[in-house]
Amino acid sequence: MTPPQRQRREPAPEPPKPQEGEVRNPERMYVVAGPDGERSELDLVTLIVARAADPPPTASPEQAALLRLCAAPLSVAELSAYLSLPFSAMGVLITELLTADLVTVRSPIVRQALPDRSLLEAVMNGLQRL
Amino acid sequence: MVSVQSPPGRGELPYARVLLLPAIAMAAATGAAVALVTAPARLAVGWCGGIATVLVIATAAEAVRRGRALRKQRGEHARHTAHLEQRIAAHENELVRFSREIIPAALRLLSTGESPREVIRKLGLANPEYRDLPEPQAETLLTVLKIVDREVTMRDAAARSFVSVARRVQAIIHQQAAELREMEEDHGRNPEVFDDLLRIDHGNALIGRLADSVSVLGGGRPGRQWPEPVSLYSTLRGAMSRILEYRRIQLSSIAKVSVKGIYVEPVIHACAELLDNATRYSPPQTKVHVTATEVQTGVCIEIEDGGVNLNEEARARIEGMLEAAKAGVDLQDIGEHPRLGLAVVGRLCAAYDMQVSLRASAYGGVRAIVIVPSEMITHERGVGLAHGIGATGIPMPVGLPEGPKRTPKKRRPTNPRIPETVSLEDDDVPVVTEWTPNGLPQRRSRVKTSLTERIAQQAAYDREDREAAARGEANPWATPEPEPKPLRDMNAPDAPGKGLEAFWEGLKQGIEPGTHPTDFIRNPTKYLHLLNDPAPTEADDEGDLK
Repeated sequence: MTPPQRQRREPAPEPPKPQEGEVRNPERMYVVAGPDGERSELDLVTLIVARAADPPPTASPEQAALLRLCAAPLSVAELSAYLSLPFSAMGVLITELLTADLVTVRSPIVRQALPDRSLLEAVMNGLQRL
Repeated sequence: MVSVQSPPGRGELPYARVLLLPAIAMAAATGAAVALVTAPARLAVGWCGGIATVLVIATAAEAVRRGRALRKQRGEHARHTAHLEQRIAAHENELVRFSREIIPAALRLLSTGESPREVIRKLGLANPEYRDLPEPQAETLLTVLKIVDREVTMRDAAARSFVSVARRVQAIIHQQAAELREMEEDHGRNPEVFDDLLRIDHGNALIGRLADSVSVLGGGRPGRQWPEPVSLYSTLRGAMSRILEYRRIQLSSIAKVSVKGIYVEPVIHACAELLDNATRYSPPQTKVHVTATEVQTGVCIEIEDGGVNLNEEARARIEGMLEAAKAGVDLQDIGEHPRLGLAVVGRLCAAYDMQVSLRASAYGGVRAIVIVPSEMITHERGVGLAHGIGATGIPMPVGLPEGPKRTPKKRRPTNPRIPETVSLEDDDVPVVTEWTPNGLPQRRSRVKTSLTERIAQQAAYDREDREAAARGEANPWATPEPEPKPLRDMNAPDAPGKGLEAFWEGLKQGIEPGTHPTDFIRNPTKYLHLLNDPAPTEADDEGDLK
């Protein structure tokens, strides 16, 4: 007996591909992230985690989307790609959320290229004691 | 006039009857005098009396004749006066009719776009009474119509030239805005450049609003149409982005509806003008609160500021200004009052059937209420509700002249380019929840828009690069050709194969030359003497352990 085939729905008609450089939305970038906003020290690989599950009602749509995305840690670069906002705008946005204590910042775990000298010495000593 | 005329029953008395009484009296006096005086004087007195009687009669006759002539003349004069007064009254009636009926009717016809002569002809056709106007009136009418026609033409031409200049400015502004958006994307990694670009973008938007205002006041249409509905939130943000102090605006509890594409621009412009007034006439440290709720007739946008309270008189004056603007304000009037924005709002409201009213606010300032009719609202999912920026929808310029033919900007992003080897499709995209129009969270499987956009961008970059390469230009962003590595120096100590060589050399130590290096595997007993050598211990390093 074959399982019932899942009906494939007609995909929604794709919106016309936006041409390059065209303004698609009446809002401008500076309304989302002000030009004189503070930027804390953020890196492209800094990980952002949301502290609260639900965004507060006063949050702007970008902030709310960012908080929903950041349920699991996401890097600034990824957030910037998903929200289609430039890195500098993300910096202002995340700094606002940081001052409002809505997200925390985690530095990325750096995988070091060379092992630590003290670790090597400890291993060596251990081996000699065998 | 009638009273001046002599009563009809009063006929002219004959002369004999009028002269009889003085003649009799004179004759009696003469007779009495003749009788009284002595005889010798009687003859003389009689003569004198006779002559006096005749003279009196003659004088009386002349007086009567003159009196009659005078009366007759007076009667004639009265009739003449009456006639003249009648004519004056008739003229007055004519004038009243001319000014109250004919000229307005003619101007009405003229405003439909007829030429002055045609207006006069049609006026005669419409009403036969107007056909045979007296010559002077017809001339006056023609002159008046010609003057009015000329003035109207001149004013229209002035307004049209305003609009056409404004449209050109709008075209440049749009081009500029698009380029700025590109630059903002290209230099997003450079905070300094990015901030400066945002400032320029803001200034650009301010100029754009002024150009839009001029266009609206000149009777033009807004220069842009958006092909898709835009969410009300984004629309209001668009309005925010066009005023100077946009940071003071607080949007809260905005209804989850969208504005139909062709009505986005009027709503943005009207709201921008009201927001501008609100920020301008309130202290700089106060916030301006904007809320939007759905009402029976559409959506009600409330803009409240914490400025000076609006007393009844000021409110009446401002509402009067709005009314005047709705009726079609004269361009000269605008220069006199600084609140240019209200004239624009009035115009827009009249053109798009929006309602605007100003009330005292609970914050102590003014509360402007705009009611956007439900025909302009849709409940479709609008552009830009969730992600703000990453949305689809391209504004189409309507009737705008083309922007100046500037050379296309070469995009030189300071962002790192995504290398071709990195597949964006396989990226693990997290689940994003969005809000449906009725406020429930909605789970969307994948966010693809941004990525497809990036891919499209990448494709466009590549195309551009190819074209640049075809033109023979150097592309500073192309991945540099890997330089051919020089052949390894085989004599270097770390050259490939050196290690193996050293191994063989080591094996050869202690073996007579000429034997095979692996001979010890075949004849192990032959090499036992090598094992008898004391193996170096670590004690060697530490000196005399023994």
